Amino acid sequence: MLRYIIRRVLQFIPVLIAVTLFTFVLMRAIPGGPFDHAGDKALPPQVVANIEAKYHLDWPMWKQFLSYLIGDDLLGEEGPSMGVIRGDLGPSLRYRGQTVNDIIETSLPVSAQLGFMSLLLALIIGVPTGTIAALKQNTWMDYTSTFAAVIFLSIPNLVLAPVLIWIFAIELGWFPVATWGAKPPFFLGIFPRFSQLNANYFSHAILPVFALGTSSAAGIARLTRASLLQVVNEDYIRTARSKGLREQTVIVVHALKNSLIPVVTILGPAFAALVTGTFVVELIFGINGLGKHFVTSIGNRDYPVITGVTLIYAVVLVIANLLVDVTYAWLDPRIRFD
Amino acid sequence: MKKNTTLWLVISMLIVSSMVLTACGGSGALAEDPVTLNWNWGTEPPTIDPSLATDTTSVDVVGNTFMGLTRFDPVTGEVIPYLATSWESGEDADGNQTWTFTMREDVSWVSYDAETGKVSKVEGHENVTAHDVVYGVKRTVNPDTASDYSYVLYIVKNAAAINGGEEGVSLDELGVAALDDYTVQFTLERKAGYFPAIAGMWIANAMPQWAIEANPDSWTEPENFVSNGPYVLESWVHGGELNLAKNPLFFDADAVQVERVYGVIIEEESTAFSLYENGELDSTGVPSAEIDRVKADPELSAEYTQIPVPCTYYYGFVNTKEPFDDVRVRIAFAQSIDRQGLIDNVVKGGQFPATSFAPPGIFGAPEPGKVGLSYDVDAANASLQEYLDEKGMTIEDFNAMDIVLMHNTSEGHANIAAAIQQMWADNLGAEVRVENQEWGVYLDTITKDTPIEEVPHIFRLGWCADYPDENNWIHEVFNSDEGANRVRTDNADFNALTVAAGEAQDPAEREALYEQAEKMFAEEIVGYAPIYHYTAMNVTQSWVTRNFPPLGANDFYNWTVDEAARGN
Repeated sequence: MLRYIIRRVLQFIPVLIAVTLFTFVLMRAIPGGPFDHAGDKALPPQVVANIEAKYHLDWPMWKQFLSYLIGDDLLGEEGPSMGVIRGDLGPSLRYRGQTVNDIIETSLPVSAQLGFMSLLLALIIGVPTGTIAALKQNTWMDYTSTFAAVIFLSIPNLVLAPVLIWIFAIELGWFPVATWGAKPPFFLGIFPRFSQLNANYFSHAILPVFALGTSSAAGIARLTRASLLQVVNEDYIRTARSKGLREQTVIVVHALKNSLIPVVTILGPAFAALVTGTFVVELIFGINGLGKHFVTSIGNRDYPVITGVTLIYAVVLVIANLLVDVTYAWLDPRIRFD
Repeated sequence: MKKNTTLWLVISMLIVSSMVLTACGGSGALAEDPVTLNWNWGTEPPTIDPSLATDTTSVDVVGNTFMGLTRFDPVTGEVIPYLATSWESGEDADGNQTWTFTMREDVSWVSYDAETGKVSKVEGHENVTAHDVVYGVKRTVNPDTASDYSYVLYIVKNAAAINGGEEGVSLDELGVAALDDYTVQFTLERKAGYFPAIAGMWIANAMPQWAIEANPDSWTEPENFVSNGPYVLESWVHGGELNLAKNPLFFDADAVQVERVYGVIIEEESTAFSLYENGELDSTGVPSAEIDRVKADPELSAEYTQIPVPCTYYYGFVNTKEPFDDVRVRIAFAQSIDRQGLIDNVVKGGQFPATSFAPPGIFGAPEPGKVGLSYDVDAANASLQEYLDEKGMTIEDFNAMDIVLMHNTSEGHANIAAAIQQMWADNLGAEVRVENQEWGVYLDTITKDTPIEEVPHIFRLGWCADYPDENNWIHEVFNSDEGANRVRTDNADFNALTVAAGEAQDPAEREALYEQAEKMFAEEIVGYAPIYHYTAMNVTQSWVTRNFPPLGANDFYNWTVDEAARGN
């Protein structure tokens, strides 16, 4: 198993370099540069040249990429870049004075807290709902949960979030309208500090977590139901029943565990997507997360930010997928990694 | 069992260490219950470095933490004394115009200590002097600073050459000098009656050389920040919130009533509006979807203000692209836009129809409606018919030329384009195809260097004032020798006229020349079709008294908050 994990981790390296290269090249292929204009105003060419020189955008593309990847000193040039390999994601071109590391340090923890709670909520609602729907197939419980799942899957967050704000924040006044309940410095760089884990923190979190969690919960419920229905018709379940096992044991120990494999498969990408931030929910709830940077940095042509956040997403995704693969071995003893 | 012990050990360590960390957190307290303005910056300020700021949010922060030599009166927009008490123009030995500013002697550099919550003078740099202004101006012009707005200072002697990296011109030859500790003199490339407005802009602020050189990349972070204005930077969580605290050492501190600006950064306008309705913001913009409701609501309508904003929305014609290379076609298209109808039915914000470029409030701007082509369908048709007759074309032949109107992707621009497309179809029988592009791509497409077959015939843009003078408008935008010239005109008489207007010394003469230039560009050259002057739609809580400065930063130091009334 350990050898398998090491091999997988080594495979990450070419994948991440490829992701970096693709993002780097694709962004620069889009017309328009980060400093052509200030608002509506076109800047004189010498002003643009000064700024581009400062950020080494006047270098040939291969050199810019190497500088980004390995740093200026290894390239034999003078410059501030330490290179991605040493954890330097470069300066932001839009937020001058901030580095991409600064931006990620401030906003990723907030997104991760929100995303993690949402995923937890999704699992807590999704798996039991799907299980009940499968066991009580074609009863009112099944229909109700299917109906609810379809509703939550099809209402986009763009609609759900403002409606939640309107009902629960403005009309009822139960929860705050916007913003997140914790701000840096974070504990271990990720978690809210102990003193921040109070009613204020959770009351800020409830609406966005609900908005984000329910749509994932619906997907998980549908998947659990379909997968469980398939598993309960397998021969080994009949065998388990014929051995005289209690129905509860048959379902929980034998059926549910195996039916979770497809659910776990989608959890990897879902985890990566949720913890690195979601644009719409963070925007509408005024949460200072990473989600907006995936979108606005493209409009700003903020090359290092786009590449940096994409890279973070890629790292979280490959790690999540590795965890998923490792979990397979536990869920299904037939799967072995050697 | 062993596993469990380890787990508990980890958990308890986490708890203990988080408690320790918490104890280290905490920031210095201000005065108990300071008078607070709850504000939304709207977006993370890209920078609060005066040399680098270009956008309104950054300028809002800079304008409240630094003093310019001059500032704009928040009500009238006039240039009034600030760091400088008086100024006069003269001439140097070579006949260049000079502007000499006499500065206040009671302004201090201050820093804020988050631990103690105290604002204190900076040891060794107690007073803001003329040398700090000279440093600030040089820093903006220095190519190494890479300032976007450095070009605004090109009017200063040798600034363009230095900023452009020309050989043989050193930074010391820049036309700015400290005559003594409190007198600073600028020497200009050419005469500029509007220079006192430029001298008050953030890019020409006094800047703290020692603080910038100690932390070149992070001097604008709260722990390093040094400023001299009515407020200090109390804290800044990037992307989350930026808070200002009153500077008790400000020369006019007694007049500053708001002691703390608690500023969140909420980008979504409808969320900010919800916060306002919940009483969590003291003033905010009204999203266009909410305007009808705000106007109908008795409470909200009392808090609603519609403020003219010195910006103009216009459609540019590419003057070298057939058939818009003929002035008669441009006249026809400009004259067949029903601007009032567009404002009443589509944009709905009480904007002002525009027939010329600079809006009222800008020095030299013509009176509304006096200059330019107004809505006149018959004249427009006659003009187009004359063109068609001469070319021996029918309107079908004309439409076969596939005229393209392009705008940057946005629902608002799309609605306006659809309405005007319909007006041209109804009024002229002209068919126009509407296209849109993402902002960055769009700006690239409509530059003057794009091959003629790739630019659209008509493009949309807006322009907002940097300083309240026509030079910033008709000259900087449409003078084809100096401006961006996206409309691709080439008229030597017009270019000479805007230059002459900038150099004239007599205000009445300048006004007359600018009016002539506006008239020429809108009526003879018809390089563009102005559409409307902007307005901003705002709601402000009853306990707040505020200004709506037409230009420059929001002046929090002039506002008042009635904390007693807020509670009710």
